[in-house]
Amino acid sequence: MKRKQTTSKKAAQVLGPLLRRHAAAYLLGLVTLFVVDYVNLFIPQYMGEVTDGLAANALDARGIFAVCAKIVLCGAVVLVGRFFWRYFIFGSARKIERELRDLLFAKLETLPQRYYHEHKTGDLMSYFTNDLEAVRQAIGPAVVTCFDSSVLTILVLYRMMVNVSVSLTLYTLIPMGVLAVFGYFFGEAIERRYAKMQKAFAELSDYVQESVSGERVVKAFVQEKKQAEAFRAVNDKKRRATLSVVRLDAAFVPALHFLVGLTYVVAIAVGGWYTMIGDMSLGDFVAFNMYIGSLVWPMLALGDSITLISQGIAGLGRLHEIMDERSEIVDDPQPDDVTHLTGQITIRNMSFAYQKGLPDALHGVDVEIAPGETLAVMGRTGAGKTTLVNLLCRVYDVTGGSIRFDGHDIRKLPLRVLHENIACVPQDNFLFSDTLAGNIAFGRPGATREQIEQAARDADIHDNIMDFPEGYDTMVGERGVTLSGGQKQRASIARALLKDSPILILDDSLSAVDTDTEETILENLKRVRRGKTTILIAHRVSTVQNADHVLVLDEGRVVEYGGHDELLAKENGVFATMWKKQQLEAQLLLED
Amino acid sequence: MAQMNEELLETKYNGSVFKRLFAYVRPHAPTVAVCLVLVLIVTALELYRPILIGGAIDNYIKAPAGSVPDGLSRDELIALRASDRAGLMHTALVYTGVLLAALACQLTEVWLLQRTGQAIIYTIRQEIFDHVHTLPLRFFDINPVGRIVTRVTNDVESLNQMYTQVLVKLFSNAVLIVGYAVVMLRIDRRLALMCFAFLPVIFALTLVFRTLVRRTYRVVRTRISALNTFLSENISGMKLIQVFAREKEKTEAFRGRTKELYRAQLRELMIFAVFRPGIAFIACFALALILYRSGLRVLTGAVTFGTMYIFTNYIRSFFEPIQELAEQFSTLQNALASAEKIFTVLDEENTISEPENPAELREIRGSIEFRHVWFAYEGEDYVLRDVSFTIRPGEKVAFVGATGAGKSSILNLIGRYYDIQKGEILIDGVDIHDLPTERLRRAIGQVQQDVFIFTGDVKSNIRLLDDTISDAAIVRASAAVNADRFIERLPAGYDEPVTERGATLSAGQRQLLSFARTLAYDPRILVMDEATANIDTETEQLIQQALETLMRGRTTIMVAHRLSTVQHADCIYVMHKGRIRESGTHQELLARDGIYKKLYELQQ
Repeated sequence: MKRKQTTSKKAAQVLGPLLRRHAAAYLLGLVTLFVVDYVNLFIPQYMGEVTDGLAANALDARGIFAVCAKIVLCGAVVLVGRFFWRYFIFGSARKIERELRDLLFAKLETLPQRYYHEHKTGDLMSYFTNDLEAVRQAIGPAVVTCFDSSVLTILVLYRMMVNVSVSLTLYTLIPMGVLAVFGYFFGEAIERRYAKMQKAFAELSDYVQESVSGERVVKAFVQEKKQAEAFRAVNDKKRRATLSVVRLDAAFVPALHFLVGLTYVVAIAVGGWYTMIGDMSLGDFVAFNMYIGSLVWPMLALGDSITLISQGIAGLGRLHEIMDERSEIVDDPQPDDVTHLTGQITIRNMSFAYQKGLPDALHGVDVEIAPGETLAVMGRTGAGKTTLVNLLCRVYDVTGGSIRFDGHDIRKLPLRVLHENIACVPQDNFLFSDTLAGNIAFGRPGATREQIEQAARDADIHDNIMDFPEGYDTMVGERGVTLSGGQKQRASIARALLKDSPILILDDSLSAVDTDTEETILENLKRVRRGKTTILIAHRVSTVQNADHVLVLDEGRVVEYGGHDELLAKENGVFATMWKKQQLEAQLLLED
Repeated sequence: MAQMNEELLETKYNGSVFKRLFAYVRPHAPTVAVCLVLVLIVTALELYRPILIGGAIDNYIKAPAGSVPDGLSRDELIALRASDRAGLMHTALVYTGVLLAALACQLTEVWLLQRTGQAIIYTIRQEIFDHVHTLPLRFFDINPVGRIVTRVTNDVESLNQMYTQVLVKLFSNAVLIVGYAVVMLRIDRRLALMCFAFLPVIFALTLVFRTLVRRTYRVVRTRISALNTFLSENISGMKLIQVFAREKEKTEAFRGRTKELYRAQLRELMIFAVFRPGIAFIACFALALILYRSGLRVLTGAVTFGTMYIFTNYIRSFFEPIQELAEQFSTLQNALASAEKIFTVLDEENTISEPENPAELREIRGSIEFRHVWFAYEGEDYVLRDVSFTIRPGEKVAFVGATGAGKSSILNLIGRYYDIQKGEILIDGVDIHDLPTERLRRAIGQVQQDVFIFTGDVKSNIRLLDDTISDAAIVRASAAVNADRFIERLPAGYDEPVTERGATLSAGQRQLLSFARTLAYDPRILVMDEATANIDTETEQLIQQALETLMRGRTTIMVAHRLSTVQHADCIYVMHKGRIRESGTHQELLARDGIYKKLYELQQ
């Protein structure tokens, strides 16, 4: 119970300000809704009047017309009212949904990579789809049904008692009461069975998922028929579970009809007798019958709206989890006043662990890079190369030692300044669903077409782009062309080159291009990066031929660090051995 | 083989899809017929209810003019109307009877129908599941697992509604409309015709509404999916956004999209806000009109109060079935879209065809021969070019070469997971096309690089679903491949639960488990893709010993990445760019100073 309270309290924190902003619209909507309900109830009354007037011979043609005109008038008011409450309440709910969605995305942008490692994209997406939808349902349809059905029930009962007959109303309430109790127990039972059915469905999904994932084993061990047989049991379980829900669910509507029908029986037997003995007019009898019809819906809707609202609160609670998330990668409260970096980097006894308790991913690293220098970083998979890149871009914060740019600690630099002064070609070469031109200009939105083409030429992808029918306007991604790994890498390089930052980092960015292309790109890099700092992470020795210094990492530690030629000359050195092996491999590739 | 289309197919009431869906109903025809009769009865009872009350008004409640003198006391009235009261009670009783009958019919009908629906769903689901497993690996290469799972689960599920609700509702609503019409005509033709005058209006409005809604709904759907694509893409690329300091721009772009979606949703909302109240208004107008016309005729005595009651009651429910019909058509459309996706899978053919006249092979001894085999996964992109070799029963051969040389493809071809384009593959001198795939694959044991673990326990992962493999055989197989040591150390031993994603087993243990699995099936031919996983040296030794046991007396083909493991092979084939470039024993190849020598030096 306590937990529930805190979630609703938290929920209010996110939603409160938004709801307040639309309070006027909500209020207007609810007032209109009330008016609609109120006016609507005049219709049975007027019908009763016609009947009575006719029975008493008190009504002529004009009289009837007048009453019927009043009914149409009521209908018209209801028509307008219904339009407006929908507009006010549902419209506001949509608007709030949109505002929440924007808030949520802006929040996501501030969260560190650590968060994205812990949360799968699919899970994050479900905040935007399922949870947001649950919230909208609660602040839109649920509010309306809840308010509407309460108001309607009270109004109808009031009219039945005041206008028609107190005792008759009380009699008809008996089946209605049964209906409410029945509905409650029914809801409980169906929820239990429904959960069971969901479970059976999940089991079925899991089974299919696993069976298809293990297709190779299934085929290798000739298990197809056996799989089908085993599936029969799972399939049948789902069928039975569904039937147990449906058995109840299917009984609901007929049973409901029956109970409502019973109120009509009461109306005939009791109401009819009252009419005969003059306690009630024929018109009241007719009106009463119509009132019963309008009571059924609110009875059912109330339960539904309560479910919707509790789901909405749960959804909001989950949304709040994100809103509560705090990033540790934030600007220092008193950042150093820097706007430009020269490319000088000092790394001192720097260590980093991804999590407390985990061994250091990098340990005791010391590196000094002068402005305009090229540093190559080499090492096996898992040596800590990419970690180093992530730390330089401040995707993570170091856990020991320091990284300084021009003498400023990385944590004292404004994040935006740091990111504007570093261009990075990450390993995964992520491209957005945009045109090629748009992707290359990602880091420099105002770039001219000439600048974009120049960057593409430097990354040796211009010719490939021109081969596409739409050239630079070719869409990339799901709805466009699929680029090869090498093309993606080069587009990603062009994107970083166009940024023309004092510092450029290439994280194993030439792995998917052939040796000739690599040669061209390296030549271009030498030219355009003259006087600017470049950090090259590489697997291949050929990639690092132009480097001033080479850093070899292994299991997070520096194993070799020095000038390129100096390391190459070292007998049995790690870098020298790597170089020899790769020479051999290159020879092997030349065979055909 | 076509990739299954994920796009929602705008079903154009495809007749053949409908026919196929209907074929599943045929075995249940008698039940469905009973249901339809029950629906008829329920509808008739439904129509009868207002008539009963109307009759009660005319016959009992409303005293005939002049029969009740004015100024009677309450007690005198009670005495005078006693006989009418009996009639009234009789009506109440009949009304209750009608209710009970309707309840019974409805319960039976719904229950029968749901059972039928579930039986059909069961059949279709089983059919598609069975069919998927008969499809060749190629199908699984191009269709992601998630999509296949959706076909078997959600798509089949969405057919349920169509079978159990829509079809019957369509029928019952049609019956209801006709029923109302007939009854109204019989009671009072002029009033009835007046009611009918509203039908075209409602119908036209519904049509307009449906077109509008469909159009806006499509826009909403497109925008939602655009937004979701944007989201998932930007969540995946968040690191890049942050590193390139592009947060503000992306926020703007996102806002633009949410705004577009909001606008589309608002338009949808407005359409509903006009239509639903609009229909209600027309119903209200119709009510007033009927009341007015019938009221006038009550004045002249041409119409009774009862008739007036019946008509005002009918007019309120008369329009409902029409609106419901419109809604059911969209459900039907969704179901048809799902059905089309399901049938696309069911129509996929197994390209690995079974031989018409299978060759007789009493016992597979295990000789393998490739004769000028050419193979490409797609088009002309050959991964094997004119490959020929012969392996005698019991021989151990190894294929080595750089990544992409075509080694693993050879393993796939022996079990006929793919068909070759040119040449022949023979097992014991018989073309594998002439062997039933089941027989062929049974004879081949595959040891794969990444071991797939099924949810279950250790035992069930060795036995898989073959109950003829006894517990004793499982223990024997495990012991033979050194898997028994770690299994027995597990808390529940052979009954220890394991899952695919579960971290209970290390890579080495998974490997040993797969050896036990293979040995339990006792294949004649062993096909191995050498594991490259990082395995500690102790387990590595266990694996080496286990491999020895596994290979004993079996024809073995292995693809090796580390040359140390192949040195004892009877023959080593060196693959390079799809061709066999060198072959011989380890010593012979080293002496030749070719590719093998270079590979060997590289690994020193």
